Amino acid sequence: METISLKEVSLNSKIALLKELGFDSDGEYVLDFKRNKVMDRYVDIPVKVENMVILPGSTIILDDNILSLSCYMEEFPDVL
Amino acid sequence: MSSEPLEDIAKGVIKGTLEWTADFIKQLAKGFQENKLKFIRDKENIEIAKEQYNSGELQIYKTYIEDKKKLMILRMGLVLRKLENKGEKEKKQNLREDIMKKYEIKGLHIAQFVENGILNRYIGILLDDISSIEKFKEKINEIIDNIERYVLFVKTTDSERIVLESCLRITTSNLSMIFIVSGMGSAAETIKKVEERLKELLKENYELEKMSKGDKERLFFKRILDKQ
Repeated sequence: METISLKEVSLNSKIALLKELGFDSDGEYVLDFKRNKVMDRYVDIPVKVENMVILPGSTIILDDNILSLSCYMEEFPDVL
Repeated sequence: MSSEPLEDIAKGVIKGTLEWTADFIKQLAKGFQENKLKFIRDKENIEIAKEQYNSGELQIYKTYIEDKKKLMILRMGLVLRKLENKGEKEKKQNLREDIMKKYEIKGLHIAQFVENGILNRYIGILLDDISSIEKFKEKINEIIDNIERYVLFVKTTDSERIVLESCLRITTSNLSMIFIVSGMGSAAETIKKVEERLKELLKENYELEKMSKGDKERLFFKRILDKQ
């Protein structure tokens, strides 16, 4: 599986990618199709476009923090 | 899809400036939906998380602790230690806040217990007097489940009197194998001021080992077994 870094990518491109994947953004946060803020599933915080990672497992969008990534690794051991 | 790896095409030069074309974004989305791609921010946090996932110390803890939530907290304690050693203050503070959000103050205290090497010291003490593996497992899980009966985490707002009273209350209600008084910054200063009085108060049952480092003060009281 190839890995794409979003770090250098412009906000507009990241938002366009989110839209292509069925999500949206208010310019700061990731929104779901109902325009609710997407919450990090492991640490209950809204995910900012700036800090998002998009991972397999029915499109899991997480905040790029060590705890969430560690929990994801535990749930999906072979992805990262 | 182009034969050139998408990750090479997608690389940018200056943070936040790389613009992708609409076609390329469609290509990326398709690649993701076909499980050929994943999107990360940068590799740093992933590498830190991976390192502790595979650490020998965690594998040892897994031998004695089965609960996944506890293991994740212990793992985060190892990451805190790593970040401390690397001088990554901001990352460490962010992780502390995330641990608090997910596992509340007790979870953070358990993680600090691991970060500071106290769990390992306790395991060493238990190994000196091991009767059975089951008993050993039980004792390790007991201390994690009831961390507040073994460790006083001194807050910056705590006065010397409060620290002394808390120590007496804890050790009177539970004459445990170990008792630790831990604090950093101004709380460490408070601990230094009460150290001699505490030694005197607890001398019947405990001997003191210090595990202090930098701006952190840790008084590690070990039960005097021959006086049981």
